[in-house]
Amino acid sequence: MPHRKHGRRVLQIRHVDAGSCNGCEQELTACTGPAYDWQHLGLDLVASPRHADALLVTGPMSDTMARPLNHVYSAIPQPKIVIAFGDCAAGCGVFQHAYGVRGGLDTADLTIPGCPPEPVQAIKALRTWMTTLTDPETEPKDSGRR
Amino acid sequence: MSQDWIDHNIAHKQAGDELLSLTATRDGQVRATWMNPGDGRQTSYATSVIDNHFPSLTRALPEVAWDEREIHDLFGFVPQGHPDLRPLVRTPRWPSEFFPLGAKPIRCPAWLDVEPDNPARTVQGDGITIMKVGPTHAGIIESGHFVFSLMGENILHLDIHLFQNHRGVEAILEDQPIANAVPIVSRVCAGDTVSHQTNWAMAVENLAQFVPDPLLSLRRVILLESERVLSHLNDLAQIPAGVGFQRAHQQALAIKECWQQGLKQLFGHRLLFDTVKPGWAAGADPDALLMLIRRLRQQWTPWRTLVEGHHGFHDRMTGVGVVKPHDAERFGAHGVVARAAGQARDVRSVHALYADMRPACILGQGGDVKARFDVRLGELEESLRLLEASAMRLRNENESPLRRWTVPDTLSGRAVVFTESPHGLNVHDITLDCGRIARYHIRAGTYRHWPLLAQAMPGNTVADFPLINKSFELCYSCTDR
Ligand code: SF4
Repeated sequence: MPHRKHGRRVLQIRHVDAGSCNGCEQELTACTGPAYDWQHLGLDLVASPRHADALLVTGPMSDTMARPLNHVYSAIPQPKIVIAFGDCAAGCGVFQHAYGVRGGLDTADLTIPGCPPEPVQAIKALRTWMTTLTDPETEPKDSGRR
Repeated sequence: MSQDWIDHNIAHKQAGDELLSLTATRDGQVRATWMNPGDGRQTSYATSVIDNHFPSLTRALPEVAWDEREIHDLFGFVPQGHPDLRPLVRTPRWPSEFFPLGAKPIRCPAWLDVEPDNPARTVQGDGITIMKVGPTHAGIIESGHFVFSLMGENILHLDIHLFQNHRGVEAILEDQPIANAVPIVSRVCAGDTVSHQTNWAMAVENLAQFVPDPLLSLRRVILLESERVLSHLNDLAQIPAGVGFQRAHQQALAIKECWQQGLKQLFGHRLLFDTVKPGWAAGADPDALLMLIRRLRQQWTPWRTLVEGHHGFHDRMTGVGVVKPHDAERFGAHGVVARAAGQARDVRSVHALYADMRPACILGQGGDVKARFDVRLGELEESLRLLEASAMRLRNENESPLRRWTVPDTLSGRAVVFTESPHGLNVHDITLDCGRIARYHIRAGTYRHWPLLAQAMPGNTVADFPLINKSFELCYSCTDR
């Protein structure tokens, strides 16, 4: 299991839509709403990539969004994590073979399946995965850099 | 010949008809379909593309400016006389010979290794600031790129660059056998999914001359109105967020969640994907539906009192982002945007599904953010009323099972079908050939509202943009496709 400096107890996420149908966005919004309130679980969406530990991508990666997505990824400080949210980003959605898309992310540290993933499943997947990360407090100071 | 094309189309606009679709075919026809909003009668015209050109309608009919630019980008046909042929869907990354819907299709283009931004149109002059927003955003928002020309706080001009989420949906639908279309059509846009699915189902049924029985129609009305409640709840939650009215925002999100959990229980999906197919629609237990509406009302009524009693919130919405009736007419607005500007445009009034339902057309005054907010408040309650009436009917009808129907596998022909989606008039222009899709064109509710949004911006301050944008609540996904 890879070492991660951040992410075990809190995960600050920057979201980018790369060709989504807006279904994944609606369920992400629900995660932040009063019913699921994922902030109390240490999960949050941040406005700036500079504040993020993770990049969360929705959609099958339209060609037009590929570069802007890369710019956001580069702006996130190391170490960083990529999350594919939903079947499209995971490379198994219905738009997989459309001419305008690349068919999802090449690699992701965490894939959350579903069309769209329901909030309960999404939060469960994130929380379970976070517990597998190495706790920075029990690690030597400089571990976890990629 | 070409003058006929222009004259016919103008005559329909002048007669108050609704333009359903304007699109092309690979073999070089450009077709316009109009509908008489009094009786639902459709009329189609076509003009041939000659030497790669066809006569542009944009100068006479500004509402088709984007349709024609899209034809130019995707088919390579030139609308002759169009005043603004900048790329709309294409980006500098598209190979020059690549026209995805043109006569010679290329399935996998070799994208050029450059940035995707098209040049923006801005205002030049002393003291003018150019502010670019997007395509990625600082929140959970679909991708779009906005270039503002500002003088201090004031917006002089907004140039909107969409199609960042262009996937090529119309092209992947081509050649698909009828049976494969539902999952794709269902995901054109999560906000209007039932409307898209219903359009597809109606097109197949019309071509097969299959008449849905009352039970099937009732199920579809229930799904369509359930979607309107969901979508309006979402929009009503977002507008207070645009002015920092967090209490109203969070409470509305909670009400939306209550509705979504109910939809999951009743129909199996929180956003109603895959609930309508040719000859079929998901059914629900009428008592469970009535119970869900009762639960919703318990939260909705106090919320409505909260937002209607907050003067600061009203002041913030009044007079902001005004759409003038004249512009709504000129740009072909419909849905909430048109009704908030006082125009009674709602295609449910001529729709066979709603034949004996008579949904009330809720009109607003002023065409501002407040009017759009208020129209949604009224429409949500009207949808609840329709849902209750439908549930009662379902219960009284002593539900018999749906008639089983198999789609004939050699269906051919063209159908232009529409529904009133939560975002306005949603049209599909579909041609089938021997059981396969030959052409699938989608003109969704928000398409014509984007240019209107840009038109409504000058005179407002830049801080009002998120609020105005949220009050239009335009989807990107079904515009970009
Ligand atoms: S995974 Fe499903 S919900 Fe998410 S963007 Fe793709 S089609 Fe939409």
